[in-house]
Amino acid sequence: MKKYNWLTLWALAMITFFSTGCDSEDVAPMPTINYQKIAGGLTETADIKVEVYSTDKLFTGYNPLHIALFDAASGKQIEQASIKLQPMMHMMDKQHAAPAENPTTDRAVDGLFSGAVVFTMPSGDMGSWTLVVEVEADGRKTKATVPVTVVESATSRLKSFVSKTDGAKYLVAYLQPQQPKVGVNDLEVAVYRVNSMMDFPADSKLTLELNPEMPAMGHGSPNNVNPVHQSVGHYIGKVNFTMTGLWHLHLTLKDGAEEAGKVYFEVNF
Amino acid sequence: MKTPILIGGFALAVLPAWAQLQPIPADSIRTILLQEVAISTKRHNHQQHLQEFYTANKAATTEELLSRMPEVSFIRRGSYGMEPTIRAYSASQVSVTLDGMRIQGACTDKMDPATIYIEPLNLQSIEVQTAGGSAMQGAAIGGSLNMKLAEAELADEPRLSGAVSTGYQSAANAVLGGLRLNYATPTWGLRASGTYRNAQSYRNGNSEKVLYSQYEKANIAINGKYLLQEDLILKADFIADDGWNIGFPALPMDVGTAKARIGSISLVRENEEKRWTRLEARLYANRIAHSMDDSARPDLPVRMDMPGLSRTSGFYVEGTTAPGANQQLSVRADASASYLEASMTMYQEGQAPMFMLTWPNNRQLQSGVAAQYSWQVNTKTQLQLNSRLNVSDFSVTSSEGRDQMAVFGSTGTERQFVIPAATVQLSRMVYKKLKASISGGINGRTPTASELYGFYLFSQFDGYDYVGNPDLKPERSMQGEFTLSWQEPRVRVQATTYASRVENYIVGAHKPELSAMTMGARGVKVYYNAPYALLMGAEASAVYNINGYTQLVSTLKYSYGRDAAGEPLPMIAPLRHVSSLRKYFGDNLWVQGETEIAAAQHRNSESFGEQPTDAFMLWHLRAGYQKETARKVWQLNAGVENIFNVNYREHLDWGQITRPGRNMFVQLSMSF
Repeated sequence: MKKYNWLTLWALAMITFFSTGCDSEDVAPMPTINYQKIAGGLTETADIKVEVYSTDKLFTGYNPLHIALFDAASGKQIEQASIKLQPMMHMMDKQHAAPAENPTTDRAVDGLFSGAVVFTMPSGDMGSWTLVVEVEADGRKTKATVPVTVVESATSRLKSFVSKTDGAKYLVAYLQPQQPKVGVNDLEVAVYRVNSMMDFPADSKLTLELNPEMPAMGHGSPNNVNPVHQSVGHYIGKVNFTMTGLWHLHLTLKDGAEEAGKVYFEVNF
Repeated sequence: MKTPILIGGFALAVLPAWAQLQPIPADSIRTILLQEVAISTKRHNHQQHLQEFYTANKAATTEELLSRMPEVSFIRRGSYGMEPTIRAYSASQVSVTLDGMRIQGACTDKMDPATIYIEPLNLQSIEVQTAGGSAMQGAAIGGSLNMKLAEAELADEPRLSGAVSTGYQSAANAVLGGLRLNYATPTWGLRASGTYRNAQSYRNGNSEKVLYSQYEKANIAINGKYLLQEDLILKADFIADDGWNIGFPALPMDVGTAKARIGSISLVRENEEKRWTRLEARLYANRIAHSMDDSARPDLPVRMDMPGLSRTSGFYVEGTTAPGANQQLSVRADASASYLEASMTMYQEGQAPMFMLTWPNNRQLQSGVAAQYSWQVNTKTQLQLNSRLNVSDFSVTSSEGRDQMAVFGSTGTERQFVIPAATVQLSRMVYKKLKASISGGINGRTPTASELYGFYLFSQFDGYDYVGNPDLKPERSMQGEFTLSWQEPRVRVQATTYASRVENYIVGAHKPELSAMTMGARGVKVYYNAPYALLMGAEASAVYNINGYTQLVSTLKYSYGRDAAGEPLPMIAPLRHVSSLRKYFGDNLWVQGETEIAAAQHRNSESFGEQPTDAFMLWHLRAGYQKETARKVWQLNAGVENIFNVNYREHLDWGQITRPGRNMFVQLSMSF
């Protein structure tokens, strides 16, 4: 009898224990991408229509670009092509290029060939940008030159430094996090060496040290992972934010054991 | 003998001593009975003497009442919102319940222990249990503190009764107003009470004003009782307690508002003829909203908001039966769910607000079954067994919270703790009136939400930011207690010694590689399980009725704690002694002199930056006068605390803030 009562009480306790266990868990929203067309034109041979898409206005820094190709005669989308991107800044007395990443595959994904361009300055009185899209499709080899407008980003997403070790200028572009949150964030930057006004090879030999700082409070954050080189100049690591607000991501770039330079990016959220 | 008189200077005899109130099976239980009894008992019997020792200042807060119990100490950060501890155990090792109901404070900085949301006017009694007796209340290693709510009454004829009281204390220029109304009929009763307190910043023993020590609060409680059947009662309780502008001189912030809403419904069946002589089932819920405020503080580099919220709901069922002759068995099953969240937003001119979750939204589900069995083996020997099995599940409930925890590399935040507890106590009359009790057992406690999930919780005590560790193991304790008591009608002397070894002792470890979040903090500490800690101590008390009108009550206590490396634990009170001598002049007037002595504490924790504390000695004088008319009872209480205006602090007071200096109090109440 005594045992029976014990069991009843225990059962009651367990009922509550399980019935109170249903908490509403938040579900992260699916990322939805709205591409907008930012430029378009015909190739020199006038047989292929080129459209350039981006998620937003082009800005100074690393811009993923998505190219759609259409047969000018039939209007049919071209799914198989080799594409090269060549940004060009036209100024009064000179012109220069900028780092670019060509689409890595010949097959369009959802009709788009994805690459990227690192615009190094905004369009304006100083000069204007064009994007040369070289297309090789169905045995045709041609190119389209489309004007694009680049604005200065609200917070700087492109930094440069002159290496103390080899004297060359390097560009460091900020890629991630685009939507920073309190917690662990993927950090991605791309590093290019400025060999000449026309040659910006992706760097892979520098090592990066990350040190986030909250300037208003003077503190950092723990357990960050230094970005390491993955491919085509992209360095990937982790940055941890312990609160919202303005953060400075300090990067120390090292050439071997020696410090080559320092840059920082602002993240404000 | 008609006017209340303050009589100066009693030199008090010092006897190692300590008080036991009721002839209850266990030696490990202590109860303060509050006003219900004070009004219904007009003769100064033995029990009333002790109760008046505890409630010597009738304007006292729940905290002040508790602080007079020999086992209880308070960690003090301000003049209100002190954290109760029992013996050498920390507050997180003690289970604090309100009439068996769980309440979680909503402040990450422990500025609102459950005791601040209760007024003495809400309470019938306060019960402190040490050792294994606490198993009925919860999984704790340091004992339990249960505040029993006052209830409505039933009466043969409809009757309205009540009391009005008002009081003043000079040190803080504090006023108190209280009102209680009871309406009783044969089948139902209603009790309503209200309390208002307003205290300014107090003056210490140097007559300096201690800034930011003010507080203000109001409390309303309603209790209803309905007789469903001859032996079956339905009860309902509701308490609303609002505090605001509560200063914390030892902290960089004060409390803007602290609001509690507490409610319950219960069914009680009491019938001596049934197999289960008493059965109770209760459903309850409570909610606490707490927000800190730094707007009164000048020159802060960063302004911040720190709101916190706690919600708890649960139930318990308990029953008492007699399985055999001279045996009693009480069983209890309880379960509760507590939800906690707290955040901090910092503001700096020209900057985006800086927001973080200091308690990532988290939920604790706990359930337990407990049993207490006592057996009067023969006239000389008594055996008591206490046991409990407690299961707690913790989890962080929001993705923001989990994201934040990931910063410290935690992959999972869900934890389950199973805590068994069992204690055996044997009591025996060993020689004439000398009784010996020995008890031993095991128990444990779960880590707190702060210890598991806390995110940069700054502790002013040692100047570190504290970070939780979701991988903590529960603390487990082995403990023993030995009591000797001598009991005669006129003299009761009792001495207890206890020791426990706490495995997996939870404490913060400094991580030099982590940078502090709080400006000026010395670094970051992360909670971990230290191998063990030793906690021990002794208490003694004596109650001596010198004659029918003179009584001496004396208590003495000592606590000792050290960690595995031999270093003293922080927040351990030194040797402490209180003696009071009360003399009745007739049935209506009493005068009581009191001394309070604390030794210096030099066993301070270096690694916590704890400072030694000086010894002090205080003198208090209290008096009470009671006048009964045909339908009314008038009571006047007055006295002087800290007569010689000593500037002192207790070892458990944070921030070198000294306590109030000379305090004159007066309280007048009229009950009908």
